[in-house]
Amino acid sequence: MENAYLQVEKHHDSLKVGLRNDWVFDNVSDLEEATASVVSSDGLPVIFQCGGLQDIDIAGAWVLYDRSQQLAELGIKSDFEGFKAEHFKFLRNIIDMAAIREFDEDLDDEPPPRPLHGSIERVGQNTLSAFEDIGFIARSILDGTRRPLTLILGETIKQVYETGVRAIPIVMIMSFLIGIVLAYQASAQLEQFGAKIFVVDLASISILREMGVLLAAVMVAGRSGSAFAAALGTMKLNEEIDALRVLGLNPNQILVVPRILGLVIALPMLTLFADVAGILGGALIAIGSLDIPTVQFVERVKYASDMNDLMVGLTKAPFFAFLIAVTGTLRGMQVEHSAEQLGRLTTTAVVQSIFLIIVADAYFTIIFTRLGI
Amino acid sequence: MEPVVRISNLVNRFGDNVVHDGLNLDVMPDETLGLVGGSGTGKSVLLRSILGLQKPTSGEITVLGQRIEYLKPGPTRHWGVLFQGGALLSGLTVQENVELPIALHSDMPLETRHELASLKLLMAGLSLSVADKYPSELSGGMRKRVSLARALALEPKILFLDEPTAGLDPIAATEFDKLVNYLQDNLDLTIMMITHDVDSLFGTCDRIAVLVDGNAIVGTIDEILEHDNEWIQSYFGVPRARRAASTGVRPDRA
Repeated sequence: MENAYLQVEKHHDSLKVGLRNDWVFDNVSDLEEATASVVSSDGLPVIFQCGGLQDIDIAGAWVLYDRSQQLAELGIKSDFEGFKAEHFKFLRNIIDMAAIREFDEDLDDEPPPRPLHGSIERVGQNTLSAFEDIGFIARSILDGTRRPLTLILGETIKQVYETGVRAIPIVMIMSFLIGIVLAYQASAQLEQFGAKIFVVDLASISILREMGVLLAAVMVAGRSGSAFAAALGTMKLNEEIDALRVLGLNPNQILVVPRILGLVIALPMLTLFADVAGILGGALIAIGSLDIPTVQFVERVKYASDMNDLMVGLTKAPFFAFLIAVTGTLRGMQVEHSAEQLGRLTTTAVVQSIFLIIVADAYFTIIFTRLGI
Repeated sequence: MEPVVRISNLVNRFGDNVVHDGLNLDVMPDETLGLVGGSGTGKSVLLRSILGLQKPTSGEITVLGQRIEYLKPGPTRHWGVLFQGGALLSGLTVQENVELPIALHSDMPLETRHELASLKLLMAGLSLSVADKYPSELSGGMRKRVSLARALALEPKILFLDEPTAGLDPIAATEFDKLVNYLQDNLDLTIMMITHDVDSLFGTCDRIAVLVDGNAIVGTIDEILEHDNEWIQSYFGVPRARRAASTGVRPDRA
């Protein structure tokens, strides 16, 4: 039996495996396959003959050593012969290293868990685990990474989680409170005219068309726009961006694109949550304080606002998300020399993205009004 | 022999400030070249130019026969870089940092990738108990070792070290020098190293390149010590350097 990397000859007292070609990093997958096929069925010792070897490096030597260890576990002895001096040192290195590693593993026994701490930790872990599962999925995708495309996908999911899922509670609370404020303010005026039912119209339309998406966007600009600028800026200062380039990765692809994509996915989702919470806030006042029956409230919301209003708000979300992400990442990438500059550019990122959101919102309002939507 | 790094007529100018003025430098296979120079003589600019992170005003640089262009991927599969601060990716664990280059440049099975990364950590003199830690949890010296492990991950032909011993205490610095020597002797490595540390310079380098007046003066340690350039004389003339010179020369190369 033979292939490009080895040739197996069966003798009466041993199995001789002649190694050839390049046992180097680039061929590791093939080498793994080749060595796995070295099986000594009747327990004969295996001798790896290395005379025909062209080139070997640490990775290649590791594959060889690893196989000999696996054979040893099966009770089969293996030996190496015919190494050229300059090649053998790699293998010798590995053997040295492996010896250290085994020693190391003995030392790393886990300390026994303390019962009380353990139970408290478990409670915490259980509550967190629902969220962490999502992070774990992202991580395991990253784990299976080989090429930049999968890396970008993994990063994008991570960003959706970071910028979207984690912002849900705060965005909902804010929107809920604004819903209350809107309904209260409206009721003070409208009650004078006996038109308190219009409180529902005002609250639901303004939240669906404007407030929901604006609140979510402003919150995300403050939360994630600043995080983007600070994260990329710090990476720039730590030379992490340079390190990525030297490894052959394009930082724009791997850091900027996932953040933009992630936010474009996350913000519409957050907007939906904000809409729901805002209307609930309005409902609390309308039903609780203005004595509008629940059924009537629901009917009125259906009557006053339609799918169009919801879509107007949701249409704006990806555009806002794009503005926030581009501003944040751009400012972060502009950091060059100092921590002070990092702080300044982070502030700039937030201020500019909120400003851009408001400007864009004004344009959208004009366009939608002209179109009669 | 073809040089591993060839720099010809490199000019780097920032406004009126000329940092490199037609600089020529070759790094030969299997040597350790030390790069020294006063502040502002452009050591880091030179390294960044070689790595394609800095756009030179003019001049040409080739690494392993490949011409370097600004912000274009260089011979990424065959070089390893240890940045001054380590430049580990802060969002990834130590193990993931070392695995990333392997994951990018190879389709080997996951398990082999894990094992190879662990091996590199061991080669860099780290215990595997740090593998699951994040870079922020490590000391400066350990971060440098992890960064070295990452630089070695792809079995590079050339290793660039930017002030590997800066910020380390003398014991850790000496250990790092030993590590570099060990790797240089055992792997077929060419090393180019920026350093301010004269002990490290005499302890590890075969040749030294001194950046003076926008150019490089290159020679063996003895040649450089006898050079009559004023800056070189004052740099190596200080007591610290003299002491290092008398004790530090690598025994196998003295």
